[in-house]
Amino acid sequence: MENNVLQDIVIICEDSMEGIFTAIYEAYELKKDHRRICIQTKNNQEYHLFASYSESITDRIKAEKVTNTIIREFGMDAFQGICQALATEEKDKADMVYHGIVTGFSMKNRKGFLDNLANPYINKIFTMSRFTGNEAHHLMGFLRFQELENGILFSKIGPKNNILTFLAPHFADRLPNENFMIYDENRKLCVVHPKKMQWILVEGEKIDEEIMNKFSVREEEYQELFRYFCQTIAIKERINLKLQKQMLPLRFQEFMTEFQ
Amino acid sequence: MEIRISEKMSIMEKLGILSDAAKYDVACTSSGTERTGNGTGMGNSIAAGICHSFSADGRCISLLKILFTNECVYDCKYCINRKSNDIPRASFTPDEVCQLTMEFYRRNYIEGLFLSSGIIYSPTYTMELIYQTIFQLRNVHHFQGYIHVKAIPGTDPGVIEKLGYIVDRMSVNLELPTAEGLRQLAPNKHRKNILAPMRQIQTGITENKNEIAIYRNAKSFVPAGQSSQVIVGATPESDFQIMSVAESLYDKFALKRVFYSAFVHVNDDKDLPALPGGPPLLREHRLYQADWLLRFYGFTANELLSEARPNFNILLDPKADWALRHLEVFPIEINKADYQMLLRIPGIGVKSAQRVQKARRNGNLDFEDLKKMGVVLKRALYFISCNGRMMYHTRIEEDYITRNLLNIKEKLPFDANGVTYKQISLFDDKTFDASPTITDGNLALFGQF
Repeated sequence: MENNVLQDIVIICEDSMEGIFTAIYEAYELKKDHRRICIQTKNNQEYHLFASYSESITDRIKAEKVTNTIIREFGMDAFQGICQALATEEKDKADMVYHGIVTGFSMKNRKGFLDNLANPYINKIFTMSRFTGNEAHHLMGFLRFQELENGILFSKIGPKNNILTFLAPHFADRLPNENFMIYDENRKLCVVHPKKMQWILVEGEKIDEEIMNKFSVREEEYQELFRYFCQTIAIKERINLKLQKQMLPLRFQEFMTEFQ
Repeated sequence: MEIRISEKMSIMEKLGILSDAAKYDVACTSSGTERTGNGTGMGNSIAAGICHSFSADGRCISLLKILFTNECVYDCKYCINRKSNDIPRASFTPDEVCQLTMEFYRRNYIEGLFLSSGIIYSPTYTMELIYQTIFQLRNVHHFQGYIHVKAIPGTDPGVIEKLGYIVDRMSVNLELPTAEGLRQLAPNKHRKNILAPMRQIQTGITENKNEIAIYRNAKSFVPAGQSSQVIVGATPESDFQIMSVAESLYDKFALKRVFYSAFVHVNDDKDLPALPGGPPLLREHRLYQADWLLRFYGFTANELLSEARPNFNILLDPKADWALRHLEVFPIEINKADYQMLLRIPGIGVKSAQRVQKARRNGNLDFEDLKKMGVVLKRALYFISCNGRMMYHTRIEEDYITRNLLNIKEKLPFDANGVTYKQISLFDDKTFDASPTITDGNLALFGQF
């Protein structure tokens, strides 16, 4: 953005929602001109000449205050949009959200936060949010469970954005009586949902490869049935593989039963 | 006719036969109801619907689409399952249907069940079997996902009613757009037998909405509404006739969707067209484009077509075609026009129009802003102005704009100084025969080109 030249204060923070919100809180605490401040996440640092750097330690209380302020001033939709935007891997997401919020406070109609698409920061938040939202919606359909020997429904996905937390509530509502797990192989994160209980997010645990590949007796049968169904349902006179690939990109097909 | 309940056939074989038999019913959506799980059963429903996969023909797979049986006592000429065809016949048992649905659903292969059927004995007898299957799915297996059931014309109203309370969508296929066409190709089906259940479902839905307004916990009747299907290209109706039929279905029967299925030549019959060019896919595409214009863009069928111009333009989509015939309303000022006018601009769709309308509240918009919001400037630039100025010096003249719209794939036609362009186009090429003749046009539309 054009403001780069003015930015001589840089706040580095952890790449997480809490971390970024803490940095935003601290940016306001500085009481300086917002155009001078830039927020960067730890792994995405850009070096500015003559800038002063400070590191922000993630603080739950500060993050919570920012959360409440966003919801109160801009509404739940805007908060949802911001969370989705922060789930992307964009290098400048923290700064975009920060300056977007600054812009939001200068708007007359704050509840129309995400509608102000003429503003470059809000526009970026919107496109990032849309990217995450679309991917989550696609995966709700494209995710496949496989029944393991021990009865657990196991699913592996490889999303570009960090969407596990957007998928979990949907499946928890849909399959309350099932033990299921969804594993994000890009981030080594896993959603674990025991039967009739609240789902949890597990980080850093290694998935036992052996157990992951041991399917139940009926699993093969149902995979075959579904593959056969997908095959017979196509109208031969209208076969259009290019269209199929366009609607269902290859990166999703990799994890889907019917394309194995 | 003896009914062979083929228990010896494996579930795999039955699935093959009965999904192959169901594929010409193109209704594929799982949208229309929002329902959270009830904590004890399995399943919920998302208002927008979810696409679970795409088949090799590019169509969405959202539901387990099967026939309960492909035995049939009717002999409709276009249908693969007609009585006089010698094909393998099969029937599911209610248990098998439930088993497939539940196991596919829990693996997230499908959003729900789409159940249609051929007719055994009579429409009412067959629908009773279907009712038992769905009842079992909902009450024994506690399935809370999406269920779409096809109602067979001529079924007893009592069965339709009780089914309506346990499914999400129920639909009846119009099959052919006119009574004449129906009489010719499906002599067993009568127009009034098709419209009667449609009317019954519509009335049921309206009354149910009133009920629910008073008693919140009243059971829902067909909450996702009803849809229908017409076959395109099997009979000689014009696009105008088809769109008029669709329009009255939306207006008079409150349908949610009309589906247009390009005729696929599966049977040899003297009453069916030969279609050497394959199914009329371009025509189907134009019909869907026009369908969207009716439902989301505020157009009426009369604005798009007429007795004098009964078929769609091959080279241009219906909205651009309309715009070129109504150049008197352009250029439209982006910062002042109301929502309905914004929708009429080629290059602006529902989403962009909504964004423009909302973003305007924070200040005037310019062409750069519009581009960021998803407006296709390459098309829209001929029809809009921002703050009084058009993007480039454009003549609002039909031939000129038409040529540019048709050449969209090439780079923008002129530079900002207003110098008129010099560009290779199909129409400059002396060896190319100027425009398609009317005969060519019709041949292409009917898939015979």
